[in-house]
Amino acid sequence: MLHAAAWLVWLIAAVSVVSMTRNPLYLTLALAAFMTTVHVIRRPGETYAAPLAPGRFALFVIPLAALINALLSRVGETILVAIPQPWPLIGGPITAEALVYGALNGLLLTAFFVAFAVLNLAVPIRDLIRFIPRAFYPVAVVASIAVTFAPTTLRQMQQIREAQAIRGHRMRRLRDWLPLFMPLLTGGLERALQLAEAMASRGFAGETVTAHPGRAQVVSIVGLLGVLSGGLLTAWQQASWGWVLIVGGSAAIAVALWLTGRSVPHTTYRRAPWGYREWLVTGGALVALAGFLCWGGATRIYNPYPVLTWPAFDTLAGTALLGFLLPALVVE
Amino acid sequence: MIRFEHVTYTYPDTTRPALRDVSLTIPAGAFALVVGTSGAGKSTLLRCLNGLVPHFSGGTLTGRVSVDNLDPVARAPGGMSRAVGFVFQDPEAQFVMDRVEDEIAFALENAAIPPAEMHARVEAALEQLHLTPLRQRKLETLSGGEKQRVAIASALALRPRILALDEPTSQLDPQSAAELLDALVRLHKTLGLTVVLAEHRLERILPFVDQVIYLPDDGAPVIAGPPRDVLPHIPLLPPLQALAQALGWSPLPLTVEEGWHFATQCLEDLSTDSTDFNGLKRRKSVSSVQSVDNQSVDKNTPVLEIRDLEAAYGPTTVLRGVDVALYPGEIVALLGRNGAGKTTLLKCLVGLLRPRRGEVLVEGRSIAKRDVADVCRQVGYLPQDPNALLFADTVLDELHITLRNHGIAPEDAPIAPETLLERLGLADKAQCYPRDLSVGERQRVALGAIMVTQPHALLLDEPTRGLDYRAKAQLLDLLRAWRAEGLAILLVTHDVELVAEAADRVLVMAQGEIIAQGNPAEVLRASPTFTPQVSKLFPESDWLTVENVLAGLKPRS
Repeated sequence: MLHAAAWLVWLIAAVSVVSMTRNPLYLTLALAAFMTTVHVIRRPGETYAAPLAPGRFALFVIPLAALINALLSRVGETILVAIPQPWPLIGGPITAEALVYGALNGLLLTAFFVAFAVLNLAVPIRDLIRFIPRAFYPVAVVASIAVTFAPTTLRQMQQIREAQAIRGHRMRRLRDWLPLFMPLLTGGLERALQLAEAMASRGFAGETVTAHPGRAQVVSIVGLLGVLSGGLLTAWQQASWGWVLIVGGSAAIAVALWLTGRSVPHTTYRRAPWGYREWLVTGGALVALAGFLCWGGATRIYNPYPVLTWPAFDTLAGTALLGFLLPALVVE
Repeated sequence: MIRFEHVTYTYPDTTRPALRDVSLTIPAGAFALVVGTSGAGKSTLLRCLNGLVPHFSGGTLTGRVSVDNLDPVARAPGGMSRAVGFVFQDPEAQFVMDRVEDEIAFALENAAIPPAEMHARVEAALEQLHLTPLRQRKLETLSGGEKQRVAIASALALRPRILALDEPTSQLDPQSAAELLDALVRLHKTLGLTVVLAEHRLERILPFVDQVIYLPDDGAPVIAGPPRDVLPHIPLLPPLQALAQALGWSPLPLTVEEGWHFATQCLEDLSTDSTDFNGLKRRKSVSSVQSVDNQSVDKNTPVLEIRDLEAAYGPTTVLRGVDVALYPGEIVALLGRNGAGKTTLLKCLVGLLRPRRGEVLVEGRSIAKRDVADVCRQVGYLPQDPNALLFADTVLDELHITLRNHGIAPEDAPIAPETLLERLGLADKAQCYPRDLSVGERQRVALGAIMVTQPHALLLDEPTRGLDYRAKAQLLDLLRAWRAEGLAILLVTHDVELVAEAADRVLVMAQGEIIAQGNPAEVLRASPTFTPQVSKLFPESDWLTVENVLAGLKPRS
């Protein structure tokens, strides 16, 4: 198990790279790296629901996007077929350029999808919840409970559906949902109440005691004002001053959160270690991003219109993308 | 030390107090057992210990509760968390985290225990409940018994001196329940914990208990004291104590071992009275004489027939080559450990799960092409959790809804809903909200909702789970009466005493196959986990129940 923060850095870098290019060569390379990662970190026996398996997703989304774009966009010089004009919607020329552009969009979507699939496989939701600042501790606990509650509720739904079927219930009208919904709701409420009792018995108070409520509030309001006016300034062509205010305001908000968090009496049991693997994964992702920005240059941009051309490729930028493969190499 | 002084507590919007003038003392280091029927106030009493009553429930509490010299009413549950650990009935409903270690650490994180000490405490709690090998596991992958052990470990993490448990075994199979109770006894001995336990399964725990607190449900005063003093006041007891009372054994035996010499004595008396040892054989069983007095029922055509059934969930085969026939007017019990495939078999019988091979015939017709609702008009099925069935505003409505589902007008119903409610002993509850009733009553409402179409076969999945002795006795009477009318009943259960009382035939299932079948006396005694108390007491006889013994011991004239 790698530290969740390492995976977050990896994801941010991956998503940034993918969103900066439409060059099919780079996209395919990145997608291959993500797919390999999915393949390596998937635990045995763990399977995706059929339509969400990355391979199937690609096979479905890429042709569909290509087809839709070919039907919507009639631009381009290489006409493959000309469907008779009088036919509604599909009538008109179908161009290779439009097909390729659509397929590129599909490829882009798939790359995003697979990058998030990696995070989903690698990091339990609960480890992500740990990134919620300590000042919001009760919120974090509620989020954590919701994660537990959801699968239990699904199981209950199944039980109730069966129980109603055996007393002759059939789904015909909207009203027929009532026998499924009512036991689920009352059962859920009963469980929620029991959980509240259990948590209170174990000393969970749910309320925060703020030592310096005034100070933290003032700092956070100042921070918010800073971010807002910074945003306005950037819109008014005063970008540099705007960014200064945004960064300063964000820092003030962080300080306010830290001040509040300090006054919540709470310690953490699980301290995930940050070792050489985490350094390698974050390093690899950051090198990939930096290298791609640095050497990718104009080759990042690719446009099939008005006539298809072979995309340009920079070897150094392409090699940099292999940095995304590091998790596949270091995860045991 | 725990002390109640004239405690009276009334839930909001009710007039009858749940606890009436309760005064008792539980000394430090005691193992106290709280008994009483559902609704007698056991949970309420326990919740007074850490202030959940009245802080969560509302209502009015008078009198004084003192726990380790603290006042739970003043300190509220959060303030009592270091003094009293609390474990609830449903293992699933008390978890906040998803992994064993994290769950145990939750209370410590809240209490801001420094990390080094926190690790030591989690380690100790894992050790005490024998959970160390499971520490990294996800809670959802644990068995019910393991989950309850995690719940206990979590409750003990703050090192309370008192542990209160509200029917912690009611959702468990007998094996896991036994293991849990063993763990409690160990904790009590090694840590010197004060344990206050509300529990229906007295058999297992009585030998270790040094105080019994009996809450009568008729508002009579609470009786508390050593087990031998209190047990005679309790109307329904485990078979051993019931027999001991009927035969006047004194002092009251608490374990089968303690009962042995009384039993030997009885048999010696019997052999000097007469040389006839036939008494040891069951008198031509009362049940088979009673069964099927209704001549119109054809006893030889099975209501339900399973032929070479094979079923699977995905790639895992759950049932293999199962052949069973169920005839009118008999109660067949299906025994087996958790995961043996018992519930799967029931699901196949009504079409909730389609078998991979083989077929199910209901009154000679295959169910393969019929939908569940249609099959269930002929075969009633009571699932494990009757709450999943109930959603109407009143008990009577539940019955009408089933009729409406099947498109039957109330006046054409094979049995009038009111008459059925009367048979179920629910006539006075017809207008109540089903979910406000006790566990046993809710189960009977669910039975009503199923039986209102008058099916010819009834399947029950673990019907005695969570029931007290009285509700169990009521269910037994009902099943016997239906059997006499020719209903074919298949009972999936872990409850050996129920099987001993009710079954005409026993099937044992293991790993998806029927591994033994035959008459109860033979099958039950063949396996130590399935042996009823009475058989343990008289190993040479084929007696299974208290009635068998009393009938067998009666001198013949």
